[in-house]
Amino acid sequence: MTDQMRLCVDAGLCIGVGQCELLEPEIFRVDDDTGTSTVISAPILPSQRAEALVDQCPSGAIQIDSDVSPTQARPPDTG
Amino acid sequence: MASPATSPDIVSPAIYLEGIPHSQFSEIMAHPGLLWHPYQDGGFWVVSRHADTKTVSKQPKLFSSAVGHTNLWDLKADALEARRSIIDTDAPDHTRLRRLVSKAFTPRNINLWENVTREIACELLDDFQYAGGGDWVSMVAAPLPIRVILSVLGVPVSDADYLVELSNYLVEGTTDQPSLAADAFGNTTDLDLLPFGSPASHALFEYGEQLGAKRKSDPKDDVVTQLVMAEEDGNRLSAAEYRNLFHVLVFAGNETTRTAIAHGAMAFSEFPDQWKRLEADGEISAPAVEELLRWATPVLHMRRTATDDTELSGTSIARGDKVVMWYPAANRDPAVYDHPFDFDISRETNPHFSFGGGGPHFCLGAFLARMEIRILLEEMLNRKLALRQVGAADRVASNFIHGILSVEMEVK
Repeated sequence: MTDQMRLCVDAGLCIGVGQCELLEPEIFRVDDDTGTSTVISAPILPSQRAEALVDQCPSGAIQIDSDVSPTQARPPDTG
Repeated sequence: MASPATSPDIVSPAIYLEGIPHSQFSEIMAHPGLLWHPYQDGGFWVVSRHADTKTVSKQPKLFSSAVGHTNLWDLKADALEARRSIIDTDAPDHTRLRRLVSKAFTPRNINLWENVTREIACELLDDFQYAGGGDWVSMVAAPLPIRVILSVLGVPVSDADYLVELSNYLVEGTTDQPSLAADAFGNTTDLDLLPFGSPASHALFEYGEQLGAKRKSDPKDDVVTQLVMAEEDGNRLSAAEYRNLFHVLVFAGNETTRTAIAHGAMAFSEFPDQWKRLEADGEISAPAVEELLRWATPVLHMRRTATDDTELSGTSIARGDKVVMWYPAANRDPAVYDHPFDFDISRETNPHFSFGGGGPHFCLGAFLARMEIRILLEEMLNRKLALRQVGAADRVASNFIHGILSVEMEVK
């Protein structure tokens, strides 16, 4: 599962553009009260989609979660 | 250091009466590294390539929007302070200001305005078609975006004509021949302290302040009310910041989309095969909207200022140097686009920079503009409204706004 990546949002950088919600609506939602992106389900994506999202986030708030090793970045086992 | 190679002239406003100086940009792009463009007492580095534009946009700390200003010329400290807005600030001010308005412009919240936009588009297109054509700018391209942005902000749409008039004067402020007297609209402020150096900015400030006062005493569920409330509680927005933010939202929210719609109509007239393709497809695809945006490139440049010594495309840039991104060049970079001078609505990848190069100053109204353009094209398609340009367009002599003052279109 090395082709999976876990993402995170740096709330300090987020300016609430909504690009993440547009591209990955299952995972991200811009909170109408705070005006910043929140994670609403496991932020794990195939690496190509994860990298595209990081590239297209204007503020640089969407980042690869480097605290997580690839083995941990496995999608939850829904069995 | 040897003096750097000099760029051909891309700033004289008169050049732009003939359109974007693409041959100059091609020459600049073909030159290794960056060229230096003399300007006033100094100059700036010309950023023309797609990759370089992205590099600059994505590093807001190294390439500041707040130092000096985002125009080609520097503003004095008092003018910088008076004019501070989401355009010419860095984090954390930029982040704070942007968050105050961002939620109204997310893709999800913009979609809520689709029906309102369609109603406005239908009314304007019906009138245009009934008249058998006419000036596309005054009849469709200008009224559509101003009415939509005013609806989104909570500004009375009945004032649209007045606010378009002010916007026209602001655009004129980017040329070298503004027509307003310094005291027009009752202005007493030093013109250097006003956006675009225009007395029309004073009028727009005044309008915004009066509306803000109304919303304070009689709050509504709209963006203007949210802003004046932010001003009231918690020092989240100063009075000057409110003024400037209101100014940016109204001006940038109408002028840029108006320009895109004007160029869009001209492009479909110049490339009728592309309109036939739309008709054959029977629907407006995302690539068609993106290509219209690339083609139009409504804002021609933004400047940043280096906060440290650095290097770009092999050229050394010193701390304090001006670095200016020319979006029409990046949008036709042959390293990114095949046949960049063809208007082709089927481009599968189209990473254009008509909303900026992708950093935190990414256009706030990007999703609004896309939605407006899509709805307009859909309704043109519904009416089988193929346009044919009659005569030359009347262009704005500006190196900043790719403006069209008027362009005659007949209905085929």
